[in-house]
Amino acid sequence: MTSRFDRWNPLTPLAGALLLVTAAFVAPPPWAPAAALAVALAAAWWAGVGRRTAVMAASIAIPTWALLALTNAVLAPAHATAMLGGVRYDPVAARDAIAVALRLGAAIAALTAVVAGVAPRRLTRALAARGLPSWGAYLIVASLEAAPEARARAARVLDAQRCRGFAPGGGLAGRARALVPLIGPLVAGLVVESDERALALDARGFVPVRRRTALTAIADPPAERAVRAAMWLAILALIAWGMLR
Amino acid sequence: MSELVLDLAIARARFGERTALRDVRLQVRRGEIVGVTGRVGAGKTTLALAAAGLLARATRASVDGSIAHPAGGSPPASFVFENPWTQLTELGGSVEEEVAVGPENQGLAPDAIRRRVDGALARADAARFASRPPRELSGGELQRVALASGLALDAPLIVLDEPTAQLDPRAAEEFTRALRALAAQGNGIVLVEQSARVLRAAAERVLVLDEGAIVAEGDPRTILRGEAALEPARAGPVVGAPRTLEVRGLSAGYADRDVLRELSVEVPRGVITAWMGENGAGKSTLARAIMGLVPARAGRIAVSGVDITTLPVERRAPHVGLVFQDPGAQLFARTVHEEVMFGPRALSIPRDQALAGAHEALAAVGLEHDAQVNPADLTPQAQRRLAIAAAMAARPPMLILDEPTAGQDAAGRAWIARALVLQASRGAAAVITHDVEFAEHLCSQHVTFARGQVSNIRVLSA
Repeated sequence: MTSRFDRWNPLTPLAGALLLVTAAFVAPPPWAPAAALAVALAAAWWAGVGRRTAVMAASIAIPTWALLALTNAVLAPAHATAMLGGVRYDPVAARDAIAVALRLGAAIAALTAVVAGVAPRRLTRALAARGLPSWGAYLIVASLEAAPEARARAARVLDAQRCRGFAPGGGLAGRARALVPLIGPLVAGLVVESDERALALDARGFVPVRRRTALTAIADPPAERAVRAAMWLAILALIAWGMLR
Repeated sequence: MSELVLDLAIARARFGERTALRDVRLQVRRGEIVGVTGRVGAGKTTLALAAAGLLARATRASVDGSIAHPAGGSPPASFVFENPWTQLTELGGSVEEEVAVGPENQGLAPDAIRRRVDGALARADAARFASRPPRELSGGELQRVALASGLALDAPLIVLDEPTAQLDPRAAEEFTRALRALAAQGNGIVLVEQSARVLRAAAERVLVLDEGAIVAEGDPRTILRGEAALEPARAGPVVGAPRTLEVRGLSAGYADRDVLRELSVEVPRGVITAWMGENGAGKSTLARAIMGLVPARAGRIAVSGVDITTLPVERRAPHVGLVFQDPGAQLFARTVHEEVMFGPRALSIPRDQALAGAHEALAAVGLEHDAQVNPADLTPQAQRRLAIAAAMAARPPMLILDEPTAGQDAAGRAWIARALVLQASRGAAAVITHDVEFAEHLCSQHVTFARGQVSNIRVLSA
């Protein structure tokens, strides 16, 4: 899968995401974090990864928002003076909960857009060019690729079991029972794979603290470097403003 | 005399309480190809890992002895794994990037990495898929990538663990030529191999291991004069026999490309057929399409006269059994017996029939005495035979095995042959294989595939 972010040096969308996160947390709520959230989602849509970003971000953000709403606004009976849909809540705590939710939402959306739109291997190559040691590169790739790899292995396990007549589904109890033939090979496979991966890395001359070079350099035109420099400065300025405010 | 690249003397190598190697001495010089062979569990892979200097570093083995690489090098040895998927580091998104991982780890300049990558891909005959993602390649194609990844390190010693297991005969021949060329350029090579044919063609000296010790050493043309004959031999096709499998005008493939194009093939009852052809010809895709794992865009698939073209995968299971190259994707039960009973239970086969089918299948693959063993404790080769038994236990009329003899020793191949003959006695079987000797001995119909179509059919008499 490719995205429009791939036209840029991977550090540029990363810097953009960090700028949005900083703005969301430093600038006054609710409008600044709301704007950061909107910009993050718009950028993801422009890059062609809007749907994936929205789904990934929602799966993290919505449970977090629900928890915030419950703990801040609804489970504070001493100050619960307002009603909404038959539920008594604290309007001051609700405002705080909305501010925190928007900040978290903006941060999650911005970083998720980078994860969805930037190929992990390009990102690690770009970071390696800035001095990231081998262990860091591997950690990033392994973390970002873990979910797709596990999903691919799960599909292989499911295929193998369906070939033996296994039909997934059939009520809650049936689904629970069905997990055994799927989870067993999946977990065993992932454990074996991690051992094998360590062996494969060792066999390929992997030294964790050594700086890796790259077959193909990631392009980094002067205009992009200038934009990134401006974004880093903006981040520093926002942090300074937040501290002095 | 040329320079030593490996000087290994191991008094004992242990995994916990189990001794894997004892009193093994191995010296390899530049320009020399040394073969290592022996039955499953003899210690071949352990010796290979030790030769590459990986045994104590990357496994939990304790080694009493010395392993020296007098010619130096950083690293002094490259290692090519038996399972090419193991070679992948996932640090490269394309074949080219994956092959570049080693030179990148060595900290080479980009133009030096480029030279290494291009040279390694050319020598491994993998240049044509340099830009493809490794995960999309067939087993044989991936084996070439694994070899290229090893070669790209430019180490004085190259250690290869069963590197031809998934290569087609032409590729295996080219591969042995490539090995000889590497040796001529000054590399020392340790070649772990089951195939006497490959060893005779490539190695000047061969070690035979048994229970971790060297039991014979010398010229492979003398030591490996005859391989154990497979018993029983092939059954001849019966004239006018009904078709167990009938595929007509099948077109199938993946999202972005068609692999099978209007393919037609049939397997008469009582026949074991070999599906052969170069890596990437569409053999495994055909098996997956028959099973419903790859959607058919056109055509018809019938087993014993029953049209299964539109059935979901699980409802095809009573008609066809399919065993993948990687048995690890299916084994989950606590015992071998439970594992084999899973299929019949999922298909709601009556208990007495299921038990009979399970017992018969385990006996056919030589695992009837291991019924209470945990499948995880079996060797990978026995796990593969267990996967075959698991597919046979429900007694489907058609059985398809994908590269069943890869990594098997003579005893393992004989058990698989026995299981296939049992299957042919009650239906038919297809074996996707590059093992020409196995196919010649056992299969009465040889179908060759090329570019998603049948290019040749050869029928052999009994």
